[in-house]
Amino acid sequence: MSGFEEWAKEATYPKNAEEKPEALPGVRLLELSPGHFGGMVAASVLGEFGAEVIKVEPPGGDPARSFAPEGITIAGTGLPFLSEARNRKFVTLSLETEEGRGIFRRLAATSDVVVETVGCTRMDSLGLGYEALSRENKALVYLTLSTYGAFGPDAGRRVTDSDILCQALSGVPYVTGDPEENGPGRDYQVPTRTGNWHGWFAQGLWGAFGVLVALAHRAATGKGQVVDVAGAEAMMKFVDYNITWMHTAGRERQRTGRFDPAVFPYTYIRCKDGYTFIAAYNNEAFESLMHIIGRPELANDPRFCTGPDRTRIENEKDLHAILEEWSGSRTAEEILREIEEYTSKKSGHGAAVVTGRVNRPLETLSEENWWERGCFSRVAGTVYGGLLLAAPPWKMSGTPPRIRSVCRKPGADNDEVYSTRLGMTGEEIISLHARGVL
Amino acid sequence: MTGSQGFFERAFSLASLPSKPEALRGIRVLELATRIFGPATADYLGEFGAEVIKVELPGTGDLMRYVAPEGFYWQEISPAFLPQNRNKLHVGVDVRLPEGRDLFTRIAEKSDVVVENLRAGTMDRWGIGYRQLTENNPGLVYAANSGFGQWGPYAKGRASYDATAQAVSGMSAITGFPGHPPVRVGLWIGDFTGSLFSAIAILAALAARRRTGEGQLIDLAQAEALIRALDWTWLYADITGRDRERAGNRDVTFPPSGIYRCADGFVAVSARDEAERAALANTLGVSTATAEAVASFAAPRTRAEIVRAGEEAGFSAAPVQGGRDQYHNPHLRARGTVWELDDPLYGRIDEFGPVPKLSESPGRIKWTAKPVGYHNEEVFGGLLGLSGEEREELERKKVIGQWADVPGSRPPRGAAAGPADRGKKEGTSR
Repeated sequence: MSGFEEWAKEATYPKNAEEKPEALPGVRLLELSPGHFGGMVAASVLGEFGAEVIKVEPPGGDPARSFAPEGITIAGTGLPFLSEARNRKFVTLSLETEEGRGIFRRLAATSDVVVETVGCTRMDSLGLGYEALSRENKALVYLTLSTYGAFGPDAGRRVTDSDILCQALSGVPYVTGDPEENGPGRDYQVPTRTGNWHGWFAQGLWGAFGVLVALAHRAATGKGQVVDVAGAEAMMKFVDYNITWMHTAGRERQRTGRFDPAVFPYTYIRCKDGYTFIAAYNNEAFESLMHIIGRPELANDPRFCTGPDRTRIENEKDLHAILEEWSGSRTAEEILREIEEYTSKKSGHGAAVVTGRVNRPLETLSEENWWERGCFSRVAGTVYGGLLLAAPPWKMSGTPPRIRSVCRKPGADNDEVYSTRLGMTGEEIISLHARGVL
Repeated sequence: MTGSQGFFERAFSLASLPSKPEALRGIRVLELATRIFGPATADYLGEFGAEVIKVELPGTGDLMRYVAPEGFYWQEISPAFLPQNRNKLHVGVDVRLPEGRDLFTRIAEKSDVVVENLRAGTMDRWGIGYRQLTENNPGLVYAANSGFGQWGPYAKGRASYDATAQAVSGMSAITGFPGHPPVRVGLWIGDFTGSLFSAIAILAALAARRRTGEGQLIDLAQAEALIRALDWTWLYADITGRDRERAGNRDVTFPPSGIYRCADGFVAVSARDEAERAALANTLGVSTATAEAVASFAAPRTRAEIVRAGEEAGFSAAPVQGGRDQYHNPHLRARGTVWELDDPLYGRIDEFGPVPKLSESPGRIKWTAKPVGYHNEEVFGGLLGLSGEEREELERKKVIGQWADVPGSRPPRGAAAGPADRGKKEGTSR
């Protein structure tokens, strides 16, 4: 281990996080995201950095608790909710009652941030919109997450936000998956969604980003504001040069499957034990790769001489087949070792031959690296047992993020929050509960 | 238009945007990075007012300049280089030379944030890593973006691109169709997602610094960012001992939600709760809405017809959009998501605008990417106070420099050498 590596590990080791301060202590966040995963992501990220998150659920529990792929639940709660319900205080509150709405306003008045996913119009009709809440709390940062956003011609469209809507509108599926070949496409030769809820993740992450920007502005001016994130636009931002290519060339990105319009090889190839990624797209790296596969003469083949030659679709197909001839008899690990052995003697552009196995989730979980790096945490909880969670990905030397707690039942923190934050007595809380307000 | 709608239309009006303050004004970001994961991190901060100084090697600069779709350059610059390099000051410095290292260190002393995405340990070896730069600037927030992190079993010189992260994280294994190979998402999603994670940590670190004055090192690996974004994948693997299967275009949590073929393309049909599922079934004329029933409903209808049917009945639908749909979408233009920029060097160029819309301190695109070393004079003369003679001497020694005379690096034809429009204010125009 080099001196720097050793130092960096010591400075940022996630297992030492508990001894260090947090980045956002004292930031109070009120989350209202019934049945919505993107809102949970936004609140989780800020919570991982130390914000105090109070999640408001309807008295029966958040509908998101019943999201249960393959019907799997633990103590009645589905896996998506359990995976994201970290670092929260869980309170129940009925916004169907005037009393409940009054309590929400009081919570918001003592909060720095409100995250909502029910929509500005609905919030306004409940008397809980930004205008109403900011009258009591000028410094409030109000994040609203929706499919189309809070303004613009489509803002009034009647949709219930979901990951699939955000994905479809983003343009990501449009350029993902296999293109049709020779006539009508087969079932799988279609625009393809990402398997995970990347639309909702991008929406929540941009939400957290926007809140942090707004908190910076508030630190300088004392003013709060509205942060409006449209899920459709969140992942849209990641679609490379879609808009600039349209503007400059009138061309839009298409689905190219294994192939790529701008860089090649930059693709997955079949190997003995599955698939692996391979990239070597500048001239020097390509020459290295051709040496590695024992075909040095191909570096001068007119089909592959330059970047533009290599990114012609018919040449990409030829090259893909040549690479698979080589990779088919090797495991992903053998390919990695052969490449590293060659490139370790190179520097600069010629070393840019890049690979990595297409891991199934269990393969990722079996690799010691991610555990050593603290990417996964098995966190004990009283209600749902130990849960295997993806930990905050940032290693930080000063104020590292962390998981402080995991999912609990709806209303688990009613007593604490309503008594300490709003000064309610035990009797009041019991009475509100009896009347269905909590 | 409802009351709240009117409020938001006013609060976010693009016409009033240029007169509003920028949230990150006064934050200086020094970027030594290539490709996407690094440049996009700085770009996201620059959209909200941070001053970003992008350091490139004199001559060829960031190799991303030569990633050109189908070999296409527009006014001598690649459209693929623009989206992650707006609002930046471009300087050309060879930091591998002692005098270049010194220049970089001097700019870092005047900076709040450093963003780099070199292989782990490279900056430290060059004498401009976190440990060296913080000696004279303890408040520095230093984001080290990499494929596998600054330490650990995979950190040792192992290179990574976006798709390495897609592959090793497990994302690709759950994307695509059962019985068919795993699918690489057709864009650099590992880079852009990682960049957003990095920018979030930088903002959190700046918030901590407002209290303590202390900076810190942020070590972010792009594969680890994607691992964090795979929702229930890990719990499922742990509880069942099985891998989550590829489910094609169905969202198995909300059946029959998914993407369906229709008469003029593809459409997403979404039914997230019981009420939406009932409305969908009602529209389909069946008791339980199945994927097969949705597919036959969608096949003869257009995207617009299906979206309208959803709005009338109470389920949700949206078109699968491509770049052309987005470019011509009035809603996206009204929101500044497709941002209409009048660049002082290139003229009218439409770009992706900021994602989060802020009512009081909105983000904005002020200018697009520039040729290598385009702002040398501003930065070395203005910020560091070097005289013309000193700058010429450094240029002669090839410590600092500008573009090479090749597409991707040089200014548009007909433009004067250097910022000819220096007198012209670089600003937003809509």
